[in-house]
Amino acid sequence: MGPLSLEGSEVLRHRRTLAPGRVLSKCGLRLLLALAGILPAGIADGASNKVRVSDLSDIAFGPIGNLGTDAIRSESLCLYANTDTNGYNITATGIGPGGSFVLTSGVQPLPFEVAWSSSAGQNSGTPVAPNIPLAGQVSTAANQSCNSGPAITASLVVILRAAALSNATAGTYTGTLTLVVGPE
Amino acid sequence: MVDARLHRRSLACLLALLANGAASAATQGTLGGTSSGSVVINASVPNRIELTGLTDVSLLNQDPTVDALSAQNVCVWSNTNTKGYYVTATGSGTASAFTLSNGATIVPYNVEWAGSSGQSAGTPLVTATALHGLISTATNPTCVAGPSSSASLVVKIPSPNLQAMQPATTYTGTLTLVVAPE
Repeated sequence: MGPLSLEGSEVLRHRRTLAPGRVLSKCGLRLLLALAGILPAGIADGASNKVRVSDLSDIAFGPIGNLGTDAIRSESLCLYANTDTNGYNITATGIGPGGSFVLTSGVQPLPFEVAWSSSAGQNSGTPVAPNIPLAGQVSTAANQSCNSGPAITASLVVILRAAALSNATAGTYTGTLTLVVGPE
Repeated sequence: MVDARLHRRSLACLLALLANGAASAATQGTLGGTSSGSVVINASVPNRIELTGLTDVSLLNQDPTVDALSAQNVCVWSNTNTKGYYVTATGSGTASAFTLSNGATIVPYNVEWAGSSGQSAGTPLVTATALHGLISTATNPTCVAGPSSSASLVVKIPSPNLQAMQPATTYTGTLTLVVAPE
């Protein structure tokens, strides 16, 4: 038999589609798959609460001509969680003091805001505070890299407020935003 | 032969990189108990400037034996590193001269600019000629926060000019100011 990759949630999803009279228990299914030699290690030991964030892209605002309005950029990405509820939390940190969300141009800071949506294609979402997990998110991803099922499952929104832009010194600003996802 | 193949692959990678522009710095998470990724965010803010707080100048019923003067505080905001700017003024007279007219005759007036507020005198402006080297203290584009004004505009009609005006008639003109960052 050739190599076979089967992810935890896929296994459980297949189990859910069996007819009621033929449902295998989770343990029974695991035992069966383990005996067949195709069960991923993470499932075999019961530690299946795994998550993955991928398909992240850099965010380029470019030259912002109108400093009197908010500048908003969003990107859709793959967020996978294989918990029973497909739930996850996300924590974002920036490069400012205490993980605050700032871009810098030399010593000049330009603060920004972050929002998160657990659905793809959004230009707004729930505000995220630095270093504080945003709980209660649910993923619709069918596998860890979103190469089957939904291709993208969440939206990251970055906002440069007009008030911050109009107080910023002219120049080029750069920063890094780090996202940490945990299962729940 | 292997070396040649490696060189070709390296060259192909380099060409692909150049074709796609700068490489992405974003990092992707891996499957695990937690997963982390990061994105680089870039933005640039161009040079911008704003002039606000201007009010019309009214010099009515002036004593022709003394200069008539009107000074007003205005807000100039510049976002350059130095907060620097220059100002250029033009009048509505012939060749943009600083003149007022009552339809029959004209009267010249003077314009002065100070890079701080609360001034009743400043540097004389020449029409259509930039006054450079000014620095703004404004911290907000319209001065609604921080200093409420950052420059002074002074309009003056010298006494001899007043004496040349026809009495009991109103002279009108428009003064246009253009500020630019530097």
